[in-house]
Amino acid sequence: MITFEHVTYAYPGAQRPVLSDLNLTIVDGELVLVVGNSGAGKSTLLRCLNGLVPHFYGGTISGTIHVQGLDPVRAQPREMSTVVGFVFQDPEAQFVVDTVEAELAFAMENHALPQATMRKRIEEVLDQLSIAHLRDRRINTLSGGEKQRVAIASVLTLEPKVLVLDEPTSQLDPQAAEEVLSALQKLNADLGLTIILSEHRLERVVQYAERLIYLPGEGRPPIEGAPQEVLSQIDLVPPLVRLGKQLDWEPLPLTIKDARRRAAELTLRPAPAEASHAALKQAPVDILVEDLWHAYDGHVALKGINITVHQGESVAVMGRNGSGKTTLLKQLVGLLHPRRGAVHIRGMDTRRVPLEQIISLVGYVPQNPNALLFADTVREELAFTRRSHGLTDEGRDPLLAPLGLTEHAERYPRDLSVGERQRVSLAAILAAEPEIILLDEPTRGIDYAQKQALMRTLRAEQHKGHTVILSTHDVELAAASVDRVIILGDGEVVVDGNVREVMTHSMVFSSQINKLLRDDAYLTVEDVLRSLA
Amino acid sequence: MEHQTSFALSQSENELKPGNTLAWLIWALSAAVATLLIRNPLYLAVIALGAWLVYLAVGQGQSVAHSWTGLIKLGAVVWLLAIPFNALMLHQGTHILFRLPGNWPLVGGAITLEAVLYGVVSGFALWTLLLVFVGFNVAVDASQLLRLMPPFLYQAGVVTSIAVTFMPQMLSSATEIREAQQVRGHRFRGWRDFLPLVVPLLTTSFERAIQLAESMESRGFGGQLAEMSARQSNGVRLTMLLGLALLLGGLLVRSFWASISWLGVLLMICAALMLLCAFYWFGRRVRRSHYRRARWRRADTAIVVVSLLVLATTLLVRAANRLSLAYYPFPPYSLVPEFNPWIGATLVLLSLPGLLSLLRGGEL
Repeated sequence: MITFEHVTYAYPGAQRPVLSDLNLTIVDGELVLVVGNSGAGKSTLLRCLNGLVPHFYGGTISGTIHVQGLDPVRAQPREMSTVVGFVFQDPEAQFVVDTVEAELAFAMENHALPQATMRKRIEEVLDQLSIAHLRDRRINTLSGGEKQRVAIASVLTLEPKVLVLDEPTSQLDPQAAEEVLSALQKLNADLGLTIILSEHRLERVVQYAERLIYLPGEGRPPIEGAPQEVLSQIDLVPPLVRLGKQLDWEPLPLTIKDARRRAAELTLRPAPAEASHAALKQAPVDILVEDLWHAYDGHVALKGINITVHQGESVAVMGRNGSGKTTLLKQLVGLLHPRRGAVHIRGMDTRRVPLEQIISLVGYVPQNPNALLFADTVREELAFTRRSHGLTDEGRDPLLAPLGLTEHAERYPRDLSVGERQRVSLAAILAAEPEIILLDEPTRGIDYAQKQALMRTLRAEQHKGHTVILSTHDVELAAASVDRVIILGDGEVVVDGNVREVMTHSMVFSSQINKLLRDDAYLTVEDVLRSLA
Repeated sequence: MEHQTSFALSQSENELKPGNTLAWLIWALSAAVATLLIRNPLYLAVIALGAWLVYLAVGQGQSVAHSWTGLIKLGAVVWLLAIPFNALMLHQGTHILFRLPGNWPLVGGAITLEAVLYGVVSGFALWTLLLVFVGFNVAVDASQLLRLMPPFLYQAGVVTSIAVTFMPQMLSSATEIREAQQVRGHRFRGWRDFLPLVVPLLTTSFERAIQLAESMESRGFGGQLAEMSARQSNGVRLTMLLGLALLLGGLLVRSFWASISWLGVLLMICAALMLLCAFYWFGRRVRRSHYRRARWRRADTAIVVVSLLVLATTLLVRAANRLSLAYYPFPPYSLVPEFNPWIGATLVLLSLPGLLSLLRGGEL
């Protein structure tokens, strides 16, 4: 049993508490999903469970917390480690040693468990998470999903009663996320392990949860209960639930299967014909990639890629982790040069023109916004980009409002949430007024509201005639904001086509609404609502 | 098909590194001591070939091994730079290649073949040492090395091993940040232009360190110390205090009373023994277990035997006659290095791990 009684916690130097008079009870064996907007206190709540808050972070805490009879405010995290296993967001950042088996043994060695016990437990967790074949592998050779399953196994060796996961799938592609979530469901069902996880992409996880805890933030009390019950009261919902709410479906569907029966009852009129994607192909060519090959460290990342992107197109490049998406974007901005083949940006061969000439046209927002942010204020970040491009400082404030950054204009960018930082880095790149915009995984760790803001900005750029290419795992983002999808697999173009056709014929890279209706007329909730009107 | 041939994938590097870490440590120690004591280029060449063979044979199929090629190339550049540096700075010798005007400060005067050769050999010794280091790193994991740490140094060892693995991550972050700022239009014009690179690098590294520390703390790192009675605890403290006092006394005697310096040495030996005892007792308090004991195979015994043989031979030969391992091209010595086949044959033994590994396809 886990209980929070009147818990209030504030980080050191914070003006107001992130958790305020919080009361919660979690029963043994539950699978609980903690949701809320960025900055609502999800990670803080999870860190209270194993004592990282307050022992690691400091700050002031009041109230009482009990986790399986222990008080994490009094006990140190290392004492709590036998009761609570904690898995972090970034699989890369939590490994201490470099091979799977040694990583699994690390926690048990710290607790001085006998060798025979360690061997037995390692065998058990390898089987429980179906990773026995990875036992002798180096961690840096594993895929994202494998890494996260190893991270889970590495805390389960101490046989904790509670497993806590902070956004465990946020950096994973859909298949890898599915692997991890299936493993969690099995652990919950087979071992009766209490699992508490936070996640932004509810469409991936909500069907697994028995209970939802919604943290509204700003000290307001949480909303908790069965998933349907909580989702009916909040705006932070996946597309399928949003459709259910719009159409007053009762109970709200959490899975495609739940919704299918109700969807069959819908009478949808043929959707009005959209401006054809083919029309864009009449526009001048912005990007021409011919037989592009790229290899590094003996690994071939791109194998004979051929792509033509026309002015004003919006394209999503999708594929599993390591399929070559980032390498392709870096080729398009001239950071990498083709080993074979060619990349032409508005007719300029990237091998023959200086980078300055390319970046006067192309803006590149990297996956990690922290790589860009260094200035004292958000406003200064934008001004820096403009000065670097020889533009005047003025006139860029209009970028802040559509991205929801006006109130943060004078704040230190590094103090903002992940989603806010992501938007600041986008604004910092857009400040140079590029005509071709490349974004690498722009929705990692951001909530639905922030995603909506991002989509609006991308659409606005498209309306200006700018070309947008984004690499993403987020099928809902792609469904709502691009015209065309390119799927890469092992460095090759597997599929390239209109977003509606590609998603309708894909089992994995397809939006929830399209999976439900299996018709290329419907990718988003808006598509369905328009057909009903 | 043509593309596939030219971009053939390297083998997967999934397998663990071969051999016992202790055996490799002794091999590296032996090869490094020999390289440091030897200046004869022919003997150095034998060691370098042995280390190169280890690098190629043990590192085959490992992308980790590929990543060391940059350092080997950098070492070669340093080696090449040592040659003109020596040639311009040392003006002794009878084989004059050409002369620079005498009024040029430092570099003016005769440029001799002897100075060039001396530069070649000095740079070669450095490069050989680098090859030994690279061979050792390809053969051994930081985590395996960590297991050799005595218990009282374990935590320091973890911190060191993380620092070692942190370096490549930091370099990768530095590249990511440089690229991100570069495409944002950032250019170097003055010292202030370092800020867009340095600030993100520092903050990113700091954030990563925090995440790793959280992960370690959450998995019980940071000490399971067994209880110690007050008497035992006082005993350890007293032993450490006495050890430090004896060490200080020994140093003072050695420094100020040269006639009885033997007493200073004796005191320092006693101090070292007492400190080792104190650390041993303290180490016994650290409650920690080991999952796997490293396997010891016949190949490991062979590596240790030949490495110790090379070490003993080098030390004995050097003690018997310092010049037998040296190379000094300046008069009155010969430009041509001497070569004793017995010494050369002994040093060839350093290539045994490489040969064994080559015969067994990267495994020992």
